[in-house]
Amino acid sequence: MRNWYRSLMWISLGLLLGLALGLYLGWVAWPTEFTDASPVILHEDHRRDVTLMIAHAYVLDGDLDAARRRLHALDPEAPDNWLLTLTVDAILSGRNEETEIRPLVTLTHDLGLESPAMAPYLDETTTDDVQE
Amino acid sequence: MFRSSRYPGQDRPQEPQPPRVAAASLFLLGLILGLTGGLVYAWLISPVVYVNASPARLSERYKDDYIYLTSQSYALTGDWDTAQERLAELEEESLPQRVAALFERYLREGAPAPAVRNLAVLTQQVGGDSPALSLFGPTPRPPQVTPTATPAGSTPTATLLPTPSLTPIPTRTPQPTLTPSPTPVPTATPRPAYRLLSQERVCEPDEPAPRIEVEVVDAVLDPLPGVEVIISWEGGRDRFYTGFRSDQGPGYGDFTMTPGLSYAVTLAEGSPTISGLRVEPCGEDTGGLPGGWRLSFQNLELNRPTPTATPDQ
Repeated sequence: MRNWYRSLMWISLGLLLGLALGLYLGWVAWPTEFTDASPVILHEDHRRDVTLMIAHAYVLDGDLDAARRRLHALDPEAPDNWLLTLTVDAILSGRNEETEIRPLVTLTHDLGLESPAMAPYLDETTTDDVQE
Repeated sequence: MFRSSRYPGQDRPQEPQPPRVAAASLFLLGLILGLTGGLVYAWLISPVVYVNASPARLSERYKDDYIYLTSQSYALTGDWDTAQERLAELEEESLPQRVAALFERYLREGAPAPAVRNLAVLTQQVGGDSPALSLFGPTPRPPQVTPTATPAGSTPTATLLPTPSLTPIPTRTPQPTLTPSPTPVPTATPRPAYRLLSQERVCEPDEPAPRIEVEVVDAVLDPLPGVEVIISWEGGRDRFYTGFRSDQGPGYGDFTMTPGLSYAVTLAEGSPTISGLRVEPCGEDTGGLPGGWRLSFQNLELNRPTPTATPDQ
């Protein structure tokens, strides 16, 4: 009985130490290197910047499907909400109208999203402004 | 005194003791099992998920898309500082090569011309190099013409390359009177619509091939049908259009040469004139029979409609 207890003690000690070592190696020393990381992992500042670039690209190429796909990669759960929030934030914080607000409003509007804050920019900013 | 014959020299049987090595083995077994379990959990079941990452963490596919978006944004805003900052976030050691490779890929895949053009601009800005950049820069670069034997006694009448930007721009002429009058704007040498991509011999091992073959492609290297080709020689002139030989492709056309005559070829819409083309014997390794010439022209206008559909981006 005593031997059995001693054996259990040794194997448990080994298990605990091995587990701790394995977690350290797997999480800290050699963590998994993702080779297919999507934009969803980006810092919020970068995601905002990429969203603005998506709007710029849409103004130039008029490819709404590509813009929608890129937004989905940025925020798979609620891409529309993310874009609308960003657009309204840009308007309310008085960002550059030509290079930020109008491209964002154009994309947001063309995706079927609306906000009262966008109204002043919608009179002139329509899908016709997109350079085909 | 009684002595057991079974256990000679011992009063009673000795109880088997676990060897010390058994404790170490059990510990080692536990360690290995624990280590394996820990790694499986940390790598497969609950791996580290990076958040708040920079674009340098993106996959190659998304990095390419990021570069494309940067080119589009730069084209719209003209803000080079911001474009540089964005590209720096990728932490690419060979950024110029990467951008140039992406530009070439878009060009090959027949992406919309504005997208390719914006990538070309970005490639030039970051210092990337690509032969195809000559299509987009202010000064077209010389095409890499395959060195071939120049027909004897012939001298090309024109350089193979358009050199519009090398034309010296005259300085503004001082106005002799105070009367405001519009100063004539100096006009640059008109840029040819086509450039010569290659000039090669046409040789066939079994039969003579005394013909001029012309292949015309557009800016993204798709065949162009219906392009008028003008052939002239001393005392004669003829023309044909590409695309009338369905078996050779829509951008192809040819003309049968007469031995002894020297021909010049040009495209009606504007191209360098390739002259001194004669029927000449091919080399022994290609049959040694009389052969002709194959000329490839490329259209320089990216917005010319191309017959192929644009690929997905």
